[in-house]
Amino acid sequence: MSTERIRNFCIIAHIDHGKSTLADRLMQKTNTISSREFRNQMLDDMDLERERGITIKASAVALKLIKDGKEYNLNLIDTPGHVDFNYEVSRSLGACEGALLLVDASQGVEAQTVANAYLAMEHNLSIIPVISKIDLPQSRPYDVLTEMEKTLGINPEEALMVSAKTGEGIDKIFDAVIERIPPPKGNPSAPLKALIFDSVYDEFRGVIVYLRIFDGAIKAGDEIYMMKTHQSFKVEEVGVLKPKMLLKNNLLTGEVGYCIANIKSIHDVKIGDTVTNNKDRAAEALPGYRAPMPMVYCGIYPTNNADFHLLREALERLSLNDSSFTFEPETSQALGFGFRCGFLGLLHMEIVQERLERESNINIVQTAPNVTYEVLKTNKEVIKVDNPEKVPPDNEIEEFREPVVRVNFVLPTEYVGTIMQFAEARRGRYKSTEYLSEKRAILTYELPLAEIIFDFFDKMKSATRGYGTMDYDFIGYELADLVKLDILVAGKLVDALSTIVHRKDADIKGRKLVKKLKLEISRHLFEVVLQAAIGSRIIARESIRPIAKNVTAKCYGGDITRKRKLLEKQKEGKKRMKSIGNVEIPQRAFLSVLSVDE
Amino acid sequence: MKRLKDTVPNALYIHIPFCAQKCRYCDFNSFVSESTFIDKYLTALEKEIAGLKGQYVFNTVYIGGGTPSILNELQLEKLLRSVLNNTMLGSETYEYTVEANPGTMTIDKAQILKGYGVNRISVGVQSFQDRQLKLLGRIHSGDDARKTFDLLRSTGFKNINTDLIFGCSNQSLSDWEKDLKTVIELNPEHVSTYSLTYEEGTPLTRDLDNNVICTLDEDTELEMYKTTIRSLTLHAYHHYEISNFSRDGYQCAHNLIYWQNKDYVGVGAGAYSFVNGVRSANEKNVCRYIEDLHNNKNIKPFHECLGQDRHAAETIIMALRLRQGISNADFCERFGYTIEDQFSEQIDKFRRDGFVTFDNKILKITQEGLYIADTIMSEFV
Repeated sequence: MSTERIRNFCIIAHIDHGKSTLADRLMQKTNTISSREFRNQMLDDMDLERERGITIKASAVALKLIKDGKEYNLNLIDTPGHVDFNYEVSRSLGACEGALLLVDASQGVEAQTVANAYLAMEHNLSIIPVISKIDLPQSRPYDVLTEMEKTLGINPEEALMVSAKTGEGIDKIFDAVIERIPPPKGNPSAPLKALIFDSVYDEFRGVIVYLRIFDGAIKAGDEIYMMKTHQSFKVEEVGVLKPKMLLKNNLLTGEVGYCIANIKSIHDVKIGDTVTNNKDRAAEALPGYRAPMPMVYCGIYPTNNADFHLLREALERLSLNDSSFTFEPETSQALGFGFRCGFLGLLHMEIVQERLERESNINIVQTAPNVTYEVLKTNKEVIKVDNPEKVPPDNEIEEFREPVVRVNFVLPTEYVGTIMQFAEARRGRYKSTEYLSEKRAILTYELPLAEIIFDFFDKMKSATRGYGTMDYDFIGYELADLVKLDILVAGKLVDALSTIVHRKDADIKGRKLVKKLKLEISRHLFEVVLQAAIGSRIIARESIRPIAKNVTAKCYGGDITRKRKLLEKQKEGKKRMKSIGNVEIPQRAFLSVLSVDE
Repeated sequence: MKRLKDTVPNALYIHIPFCAQKCRYCDFNSFVSESTFIDKYLTALEKEIAGLKGQYVFNTVYIGGGTPSILNELQLEKLLRSVLNNTMLGSETYEYTVEANPGTMTIDKAQILKGYGVNRISVGVQSFQDRQLKLLGRIHSGDDARKTFDLLRSTGFKNINTDLIFGCSNQSLSDWEKDLKTVIELNPEHVSTYSLTYEEGTPLTRDLDNNVICTLDEDTELEMYKTTIRSLTLHAYHHYEISNFSRDGYQCAHNLIYWQNKDYVGVGAGAYSFVNGVRSANEKNVCRYIEDLHNNKNIKPFHECLGQDRHAAETIIMALRLRQGISNADFCERFGYTIEDQFSEQIDKFRRDGFVTFDNKILKITQEGLYIADTIMSEFV
């Protein structure tokens, strides 16, 4: 098939604006899947995605469309809908010539609509604006159109009005895709050049790589070479996704499909890498590649030290399917043997934790998450600090730098003041306010990533009664006056409770933290002293008074069973605590560093 | 695992789940009922007691409640007669206790009790101060308590216990000292002093939750407890269990069975039994208890077979309540291994801190340990 009849496109949208439902409808209309196979939101592979209503991993599906007697091959490439997966989104966009920009007719333009639309524009994609869910009674498609015009420079006449639910307007989408999105260009006789935009691990077949062919062709038996990881593999099979794998003889220039090449580990395949022919290599790789960069780290420890190996196995299983999740063994004096885990962002962290809990049966202690800092040492060496424990002594630090992100909030204008206060309190730097309409605005701030790492999103949501949305992207490292805040329990430094904070906040945070720990740690038979310290300077102190009297007065016949069960329950509860010296510290306490603001 | 030796109970508990009025702190299985309903209950209870005939020899019998003294003379006789007819009392040294509350005791009832061989009365005094009694929801005055005590003495009872409660909301240390002084003057053979416990679902706990009252601070409560131990021991009472004091030779033999975690049989609604490593409980609901007994149905909805280790651990925690503690020999005889085999780590730890002793291979809680007995016990389960 000539590239003239190929269209590669994706759908970009804010979470929950109907992307997956639209994808389902496109598949059904083209008979890509029969009704029997159909289950709602076919493209979302993992149950977790289905549950959360978001798409975590990009996938692709080949749709066959007959129009005016001609057969077209439409490749729909799905994109992850969350900011943490921005890089993955950009690689999916890189595989396309066009994008459907989907906006919910009642929700209007949201933070991720803006972020994704700009990303698509950067990639020079032909954008087809689509207003979805027009069947809903509260829809206001024309207001939304105005918003799109104002913020994104969309020509209102180009917009399509659809309801994926009723099927209204779906045919017009196919027409627009064929007419407005250009067919792929490329040189079929040049050496193979293909973009890896996703990969999944299959227990039986190894890694399945999703590819967009830019030049040349790929077929079974070819020896391929990954231009960034410098590894070569022998192709076993290529094919397209409908959405199940369908074997083909080859994938040609402009086409999208999968490739299986006996790749054992997903970590051998980097999203954004360029695949070429090992014997006939392309001169240069496709642009845009970036090594995965975890932005958020936390420690994950088994509550029971004996579960260390089980935890390792569980993390290994998780990482089989998630190349951006990293973990390395580490030792904490307080928590024993565990792992330092890296995530692309907060949602990613949450997803991994949920999967860990769901898929394994291990009690874990999680330490407070932290971002990756950079330290310029006096010997001019620059080190990455992904754990407060790795902060060098004060006299070896020349510069302490933290990651800063640009955050766009899209909100009803009445909440602008609230969110401004909110961002200022977290060391935000105001950039701009842009009005989408009289009622809605885009507020832009630059904030230290560390400040939004924990409950920022939830707090923003509740401060705006759920109407606000936000999106952020990493803009770089900046010098900041940071210090390591340590916590001592009964005179012992508890490394897992250390945090990196801004110097001006250190005293207040230290005081709040020991107060909070005082509530979390129960009374012992001896006085437990809690201290916050910066270096050797103690900045806050609290003490937990010892138990003076704890004795059941009456215990006769029937009380004995009750009493014993009560004591057994207490003992069970203790098992889930970590002993530091003689002090039992409950799991919750390790996370209390996060919420000292309450 | 070594099989435990078969054991035979020689203690009998009989439950009377009726009261003149439900006390505000009480979460026991007890109700305010019509006399005719009490009759029905006694008929059922009689049937259960009759079932014991010929099985056991009891050295102790304890009729508790509720308020056994709420039974009228006829009912009391009916109950005591069925005990007499269906059980064998061990020897001349048996202990036969009945609980009695001020405001429900009469000379006639006292004489009936005496006549049927009851030789120990436990009086629910709780306090001699009316303000405290009112707060606790008791029906009697402090004066009633004294009168009941005198009445029992004049009927010839030579072994009387008085129950007292301390640690009420707003109670001061000197209030409690007055109660202690009064009880010392009365000179009972046995004194039980309980610190007030706020049990779930009681009116008093609701008051606490609604901030109508507040708990006494821990330091005052501890001081009250220490004062109790100091003044009663000064007046020749032996502090032999966390909450119990007695004159020489007047320890409560029946309750010692519980604390030594030995076997006993319980009859009546909600009563527990512990026989040969199996703890069981009777139907708690009085109506259902009566009905099930009437229809010859199973009246024990709860059974729990303690494994050897659990039985042993339970025995340790109960023995820690007793100042005499538990000897290795005694423990080994019952469970086939020594205390250190199982608990050396805990013992070492608490010995270091001075909360237990293990001299002459007898595990004992110290006075310092007593105050935090629950924390200590939680390490032994």
